[in-house]
Amino acid sequence: MSNKADGSNSWSPTEERDVSLKRIMPPAPENELDYKPLDGGWGWMVVVGAHISIGFAYSTPKVLSVFFIDIQEQLGASYSEVAWISSIMLAVMYAGGPVSSLLVNRFGSRPTVILGGLLCGVSMVTASFGNSIVYLYFFIGVIGGCGLSLNLNASLTIISKYFLNKRPIANGLAMAGSPVFLCVLAPANQYLLHMFGWRGSLVILGGLMLNCCVAGALMRPVVLPRKPEKVEERPNLCTKPQQSCRNNAKKFLDLTFFKDRGFVIYLIGNVFFIFGAYAPIVFLSAYAIRQGVEEYSAAYLLSIMGFVDMFVRPGTGLIASSKWIRPRIQYFFGFAMVFNGMCHLLCPLVKCYAYLVAYAIFLGVSFGMVFALIFECLMDLMGNERFPSAVGLVTIIECFPILLGPPTAGYLVDIYKDYKYLFFMCGGVVVTGGLFLLVMNIYYYHMLEKEKPAAVREQNQTKTIENQDLVSASASRKYQSPERSMAGEC
Amino acid sequence: MAECCFIHFSRGDVSHRVRASTLHAGESHTENVELLNPVNLALQCTWTGNQNKLPNITGFWRKDGDEVENSRVTVQLEGDEYELKRVFSIVSEESLGSYSCVFGSEAKIEFVLAAPQIGEVRDKPIVSYVGDSVVIACKMEETKPKPGSWNWYKANGTDKEQIFVVAEPLRYEIKNEERKTKLVVHNLTEADGGLYYCGAVYAISTTMGHVELKVISFQEPLKPFIAIVIEVIVLVAAILLYEKSQSKKNYTEGSNRETQGENNGPEGSSSTRQRKI
Repeated sequence: MSNKADGSNSWSPTEERDVSLKRIMPPAPENELDYKPLDGGWGWMVVVGAHISIGFAYSTPKVLSVFFIDIQEQLGASYSEVAWISSIMLAVMYAGGPVSSLLVNRFGSRPTVILGGLLCGVSMVTASFGNSIVYLYFFIGVIGGCGLSLNLNASLTIISKYFLNKRPIANGLAMAGSPVFLCVLAPANQYLLHMFGWRGSLVILGGLMLNCCVAGALMRPVVLPRKPEKVEERPNLCTKPQQSCRNNAKKFLDLTFFKDRGFVIYLIGNVFFIFGAYAPIVFLSAYAIRQGVEEYSAAYLLSIMGFVDMFVRPGTGLIASSKWIRPRIQYFFGFAMVFNGMCHLLCPLVKCYAYLVAYAIFLGVSFGMVFALIFECLMDLMGNERFPSAVGLVTIIECFPILLGPPTAGYLVDIYKDYKYLFFMCGGVVVTGGLFLLVMNIYYYHMLEKEKPAAVREQNQTKTIENQDLVSASASRKYQSPERSMAGEC
Repeated sequence: MAECCFIHFSRGDVSHRVRASTLHAGESHTENVELLNPVNLALQCTWTGNQNKLPNITGFWRKDGDEVENSRVTVQLEGDEYELKRVFSIVSEESLGSYSCVFGSEAKIEFVLAAPQIGEVRDKPIVSYVGDSVVIACKMEETKPKPGSWNWYKANGTDKEQIFVVAEPLRYEIKNEERKTKLVVHNLTEADGGLYYCGAVYAISTTMGHVELKVISFQEPLKPFIAIVIEVIVLVAAILLYEKSQSKKNYTEGSNRETQGENNGPEGSSSTRQRKI
């Protein structure tokens, strides 16, 4: 299935222009881009929309912690009970990936993001009337999490539709939404808390999340020019609507992805990364305070990290779209992961505040690099057609490391009463993931190169047959009636 | 450097405690003394003197800035040090405060006598809504001795009025644990806003902590919320209308090109292009 060597660029007329795409890594197959992606124009507005949407998705579970102490007091819950709100929201956001993929495949990004925004807004406003912690678990955690998961998947998909050459930059800019919104929402939430208490703040936060609907409105669907050949090539989807529904159902949790070696390598590397990446951030202030840094300065470390992250993500996107890196983007991703892991491993050597600030900066850089590339690499591997389903599958699998990572690290701290084992574990896991990606990718692309000569011969054969078909097809199908070609848009 | 030492002995049912503090040249010093019960407290100050070690100097005691009656004595230089000692009877809240021993006109050691203070005081007000219930909490740290009981007071102008649950059982609830206390106020009205004081009761006195409560109506957050909703609707409408106007423009230009099935993307369009038959 994944014989990427036969990935003939179906946008061949434009390929000669795009010399930058001359890749060492073969491009993803099945790129049904029979059109040249805009790579600009309205695409940048779509990036703004994705930035907002992704920003809310990643930052909301974190900034809700501002309200926890008040909620804890008023509802009489313990701190760990209240902290579950964030965990449930994050878990549902990741677990909702496949549902989100289904909606995006069926309806497109715009309606999905608008629905996601409405769900988030309604969930927060309803949650503000809550009088028990379980009520909050349901409305903020489950319903809010569903809304966020719709946002995430749809935003990433629409970027892959609008960009190709400049896709890494677009991804970097869109993913930068996460640190930007974190830096904006955290103090904003503090302010709202003092003005309106936690209930009023949830109402206003719900209102702010309705801006995801604005983001969705910006995500203008890409109108594909209708080609007669397309109707010929995919008769199943056009003439038999029931079969198309069955195909969509199969795509809900498409386990055939696991046959794709590139996908499995990516998935394993990612799981390692996600397991080890978040715990150091969660425990950074506590570690700093243990080293004798005062509370306010320790909190400042996280702000430094977020601030650096904000700029590194688009910067990494810029670097990744350069003609040296773009063909080797999977290696760049592996390198960024190893860099991140090395930072964690070196942290326990650092005791004084100045070095902790340096650690926070390097952490921001490496974290930003990985996250700018994390979805770009998946788009690169899977291609536009399979990306929405792939990202849904990836996020639901990532649900487990993201929920297990920080508590496991916390458990280590409880047993050994020393933070250094936390950093060693997390750094070790992340470095393993990065090295795994690097080594396996080198091996994998090496194997593909070996398989290429055989496949190229095969490809040339099929291409001549196709060309003959095209000639006869265009002769007879040239004057398609509009209704017939409409049926092609299943 | 000031050092202090602590000697404790009891006689009968009233315990005597001695608190000592030593002051070197050119310094003043403050000692915090935590008291729980009424006690006869002996305070002792030792001073090593300055450059001219006079054989006799005057020493006296102050309480809260005022000189204690009959406390002025002449202190002899003994073993290169001057010493002042006095026993104070600390029985009630009035006896607590700041006691200072003064040598001549320069050296001073201050003893601040107080019951355990509530350390974690919430500085930001609690915001709640009309008709809602609110929980106001106070906590005494683990490191400090636990109070006998807790009282709650509401500020009334400059006074404090104690809150008795029996008087209004439907509105107030007090839940006491050893080191924590919670006041629950039901059915809030705007008049319920203001300062609330929690008092940790010790034998010697009651220490206070305060929390501010703000009661607002639910319309307060509703106004910014509606403003944001209007902004969202306006923006979404604007974006969709803009898109519609753009697509109308493109439709008139591009409809002539649809049936040609080109995949080179839009070229320079000409509105004079005719549909091929």
